Amino acid sequence: MAGRRVGRLVGPSIVVVGLALFVVITIGPLAWLVISSFMEQQALTTRPPDFSAASFTLANYTGVFAAAAQLGQGFANSFLVALFTTAVAIAVGAPAAYALARLELPGADAILLMILGTQMLPGIVIAIPLFIVMSHLGLVDTRSALIIVYLSFNLPIVIWILRGFFLAIPRGIERAAAVDGATTAQIFRLIVLPISLAPLFATGVFAFIESWNEFFFALILTRQSARTAPLVISQFAGQYQTVFGQMMAAAALAIAPVVALAVLFRNMIMKGFAEGMVKG
Amino acid sequence: MGTLEQRRRRAGYAALAPALLILVLILAYPIVDSMLLSLQDLRAAGGTFEGRFIGLSNYGALLEDRTFGAALSATAYFTAIEVVVVVLLALGVALLLVHPFGRFGIFRIVLLLPWAIAPVANAVLWKWILHANYGILNVLLLEVGLIDRNVVWLGTARMALHTVLAVDIWKSVPFIAILLLAGLSKVPPVLYRAARLDGANAWEQFLHITLPQLRPTIAVAVILQTLWSLRIFDLIFVLTKGGPADGTVFLNFLAYRTTFNFLDLGYGAAIANVVFAVSFVLALGYIWLLQPGLQRAGS
Amino acid sequence: MAEVELRAVTKNFGKVAVCRGIDLQVADGEFVTLLGPSGCGKTTTLNLVAGLEDASAGDILIGGRRVNDFTPFERDVAMVFQNYALYPHMTVAENIGFTLRLRGIGRAGRRQRVAEVAESLELSGVLDRLPAQLSGGQQQRVALGRAIIREPQVFLFDEPFSNLDAGLRIKMRAEVKELHQRLRVTSIFVTHDQEEALSLSDRIAVMREGAIEQYGTPAEVYARPASKYVARFIGSPPLEFLPGRVEGEGGLPAFRVGAAAFPLPLRTAERLVQGAQTFALGVRPEHVVLSPAGIRATVRLAQPVGPATFVTLAWEGGELVARVPGMASFAAGSAVHFQVDREEHLMFFDDHQGRRLATE
Repeated sequence: MAGRRVGRLVGPSIVVVGLALFVVITIGPLAWLVISSFMEQQALTTRPPDFSAASFTLANYTGVFAAAAQLGQGFANSFLVALFTTAVAIAVGAPAAYALARLELPGADAILLMILGTQMLPGIVIAIPLFIVMSHLGLVDTRSALIIVYLSFNLPIVIWILRGFFLAIPRGIERAAAVDGATTAQIFRLIVLPISLAPLFATGVFAFIESWNEFFFALILTRQSARTAPLVISQFAGQYQTVFGQMMAAAALAIAPVVALAVLFRNMIMKGFAEGMVKG
Repeated sequence: MGTLEQRRRRAGYAALAPALLILVLILAYPIVDSMLLSLQDLRAAGGTFEGRFIGLSNYGALLEDRTFGAALSATAYFTAIEVVVVVLLALGVALLLVHPFGRFGIFRIVLLLPWAIAPVANAVLWKWILHANYGILNVLLLEVGLIDRNVVWLGTARMALHTVLAVDIWKSVPFIAILLLAGLSKVPPVLYRAARLDGANAWEQFLHITLPQLRPTIAVAVILQTLWSLRIFDLIFVLTKGGPADGTVFLNFLAYRTTFNFLDLGYGAAIANVVFAVSFVLALGYIWLLQPGLQRAGS
Repeated sequence: MAEVELRAVTKNFGKVAVCRGIDLQVADGEFVTLLGPSGCGKTTTLNLVAGLEDASAGDILIGGRRVNDFTPFERDVAMVFQNYALYPHMTVAENIGFTLRLRGIGRAGRRQRVAEVAESLELSGVLDRLPAQLSGGQQQRVALGRAIIREPQVFLFDEPFSNLDAGLRIKMRAEVKELHQRLRVTSIFVTHDQEEALSLSDRIAVMREGAIEQYGTPAEVYARPASKYVARFIGSPPLEFLPGRVEGEGGLPAFRVGAAAFPLPLRTAERLVQGAQTFALGVRPEHVVLSPAGIRATVRLAQPVGPATFVTLAWEGGELVARVPGMASFAAGSAVHFQVDREEHLMFFDDHQGRRLATE
């Protein structure tokens, strides 16, 4: 194991210090986010901050929905957009991933490379033309516009990750099904999908997280009614008078569901995405 | 050639068609359109778009545009430093986590958190942390005595750039560390055993086994981080809006501002295409690196 | 009638010719094994018969019909896979009944037939279990059940026992043999284990680099191998080849290998001397006996394996392995005498092409 080699590379005390530093630096800001979201403005604006018991309150969480215009609506929009994007991405992407993984199509490699290439696109390149198109179609400030655009970067990821998983399915099982009389579609539906539920779900979670966190296109394509949570939060934070605790509460609410999902599915996420990016 | 291949192909193309259609419509078409747009003088005024064809004039104008030049060099500087620092720090973190002390799952959860947070939420958090008067960073530093006065972290162009750099490094290191961890776990342990028998000490093993085996992963990490650095936006938008004095205007942000604030779509598209071109070259490098993996996986 | 016939069947993967012009006839009810080392094309050939791969050229016929364009199901073949390939998310009953389900047979009908098949394979008790909960032998039997329920024209086996431990292998071999004797379905079996091939088959096709080197009964490939390749592949441990030449003008002809001379029947000698080629002699260890009247040699190595001991004998000019019954012990370097028990067991090969020279 590589670990033992590292162990002798530096003394154990350095490792402990390193790990401690790593945890503190990484968790510190996040911990502060949560802590300060429960603190009153008064407590946060005294120097040093007042950490007595009286300073802690839930008021920020209740108050933020009033103070941040349309925060609730923002969350609703984020949820719907992320949900639909994920659903379509999986529904369309899974068969495509299977075709690329197993069906030995000529040109599959080229298609794969193109799909990989789309991941490298900076959003700004397609943002401008898409904005024009959406304007012409009257789709600016609609959830549908966001879903369509989010598909553009979620679909390739979904295809890429699922392809990796499908490749790992032992061929024998699919062959046995063929001999038993299953068509390609039946093999996919009755054999491949049922045994891929975990990766399918994890990939869905991944796409959901990416959609939920997205800001750039939401900024460009929405105005009032289709604003997503990240957008509402950034506007809220940009206001002149900020109640810091409320700002943190808003941020905490926005990241909580995603963090929960990420932690729950961390194994599959790390396996699928990281390894997929590394070994293709 | 019999019907087995025909059957497969029919099924395969049918399965691929919807996905490809979506991608072509949403990606291919806009990319082409972006090129065309950059060849026009297109402005948005009063809800309509009026444009005329001007060939490569936009690109010509870019060459003389000092803001563009400044953005270009700022982006290059930012990206170069971020990539180096992130990869090095991530390597350190990955090595820490591969050590027996670091094998607990809790560390990997910690690793995943910065990635999971919405970049905007992250930006808002740091806006608060970096607040000149009440931000916890100044409070702590004052308390410890490292500074004697509140620092306005985003006060000057130079400071703002480096602050943004530090924040983005904070957010980026964990995920690159995950990538490197995946690469580290692929090094066959038997190589270490063989080296040990050959008399290599820990440092030599690291130098001659770990690093070379990790090279492809590091290369991938470098390219990915470069691509992500080029795309930095949320932080800028929330923290500095490009200021002070355009000090944190990077290429991506400049394209956005030109298009959506100054409503000069043609010019904005030209800037966007420059970013695209650089990304494209990097993407080619990435794909080239992964080629052997693709063929192996395909057989 | 379920004869299987391959005519000039070729399969290319890109530029690599994995199967080169294969001709094979399997009679109805016959059990034929494709035998060879990994990479020789045996599994690919099997997949071609199954319809899991398309032939690049040639014809595949089952029951007299050309089936190149048929799906595996349409060809009415069933297959037992290496690694069993059981559907991990389905119970034993569902695994066996899957093919019926695809055919649209209702649950009641399926249950009946699955129960029958399970009974015949002693799987009735585990019908509700998932594959992961079964032992290796049980999984293999489920794989067999899945194939049997099809009532196919042809059974195909792709190295089904390679993953089992030795004891289980032998047991499963017996089960397959019994099954074949009971059902008499045309079967094609792929393996790299020559012992398995010999014990199970009516005929064996020994394959080499995409072509069939010899196609004959177990007795034929054992006693009358067509080439060095076949001679070496069949039998364990593999026999060695001794280069030498014919001598004996006037008196009794013999094949001289260094200090040893093996007596030759006259007709054999005549056939050998035609043409100035070099020859090699091969003798199976089980046909080399230690006998005081034989050629003198020293023991180099003795490897006891239980029922026998394999003794490597060396003399000036050559080396042979002798199979001595029982667990015998020999000191390295001790002197012994050996001879070949019967003249028929001397096999001569043309060194140039490797073909065996027929001596009968």
